[in-house]
Amino acid sequence: MDLLHLLHQTVCGALAAFGFGVLFNIGFRSLPWCAASGALALAVRTLCQEYGWSLEAASFTAALAVGGAVQVLRSRTNISPNALDVAGCIPMVPGSFAANAILGFFALAAPNSAGATETLITAVGYALRVTFTIGAIGTGLAIPTLLLRVRVNK
Amino acid sequence: MMNSAMADDNNQAVASLEPIAMAALDAGRLLMEAGASAHGVEEIVDQVARGLGAERVDLRIGYASLAITVGIGNEGITRMRKVGNLGVNQRVDQELRHLADRVQRRELTPAETSAQLEGLVAKTPRHSPLVMAVAVGLACAAFGRLLGVDWAGTGPVFLAATIGQFVRRDLITRHVNVFICATAVSFLSSVLGGLGARWAGSQTVATAMIASILLLVPGVPSFNAQNDILEGRPTLGSARAVWVVVILIFITVGLGLGQALLVEGH
Repeated sequence: MDLLHLLHQTVCGALAAFGFGVLFNIGFRSLPWCAASGALALAVRTLCQEYGWSLEAASFTAALAVGGAVQVLRSRTNISPNALDVAGCIPMVPGSFAANAILGFFALAAPNSAGATETLITAVGYALRVTFTIGAIGTGLAIPTLLLRVRVNK
Repeated sequence: MMNSAMADDNNQAVASLEPIAMAALDAGRLLMEAGASAHGVEEIVDQVARGLGAERVDLRIGYASLAITVGIGNEGITRMRKVGNLGVNQRVDQELRHLADRVQRRELTPAETSAQLEGLVAKTPRHSPLVMAVAVGLACAAFGRLLGVDWAGTGPVFLAATIGQFVRRDLITRHVNVFICATAVSFLSSVLGGLGARWAGSQTVATAMIASILLLVPGVPSFNAQNDILEGRPTLGSARAVWVVVILIFITVGLGLGQALLVEGH
């Protein structure tokens, strides 16, 4: 396992979550929790990918870990669990895939588009990966919340 | 005579329910505008309405409006409230939850609750535009590294996203349409990021252009859309999902124009 790569991804995840925490107007005292949440997400995702998991499966596991950790620590953080886990998982949103998918569809609509079949396959591939990855992150985050709600309602 | 007495009772009941309904709706509206999921909105509206004395609370959450029915005994009223642009503001969300806790403990009357809600957004602190822009630049630079942007391209991504956030804030303050704003900022940031990365000798100019616009990616609405669907509100979830798709298209148009300009210029 490449520890330097793991450290790099973890630090970048923490910085991205911290920055988005500021954008979401999270208070300064709670921002370290955002950074920790982003670091955890990227560390778990990178570890899973190192073991050969797909991006979707790794993102699901990372979101599940973040959602679980946020629920466990909810009394200590003084921040809405929803905001904290979303800030942590934002660095995993595949924004570049979404842009590439839509650009691919635009290219298909252009007159005399060369290599239309390849462009279509690439664009659909990106679109599917975006859909599955966002679905995996959302589901991974929702499971701990829904389980906790069932326990509280009982 | 008897009919007149009944009408008076009914008017009194409506008069007492009206401020409860409006205070609860205001709390829900502010929560929606602060980026809360439908479950969070329902929870707080219920807490506020019951804390102010309602015995029955039913809420319908739409994308652009909220409707509530509150009742005490045999009497009930239904009221509706328009919801403004949906953003993300965690500190407003937090303040609303504190206020709802106070209402639940019966510390506030309906009039006091409405007065507190009226000034809540203005009173809640925000990070300064400079701090926000630098933080967004940092986030996009980190995002860029995660996407594989080389070190030469990371600085330009930081600068392009920082400038993009300044411009976005300015356009929002001027009430420019959110979709137009997304295209304009996407175009500006991608061009600045691309030019900067090329000037710095980066080998990942195309990825740097994409990383420069990631401040615009609607992460919270897309998670909220999914949450709402998973929690049994497919109509609201679908509306949010459609908004996410449309804003992504507008962002990509800006990026596509930026790429076309740089390729032509090259």
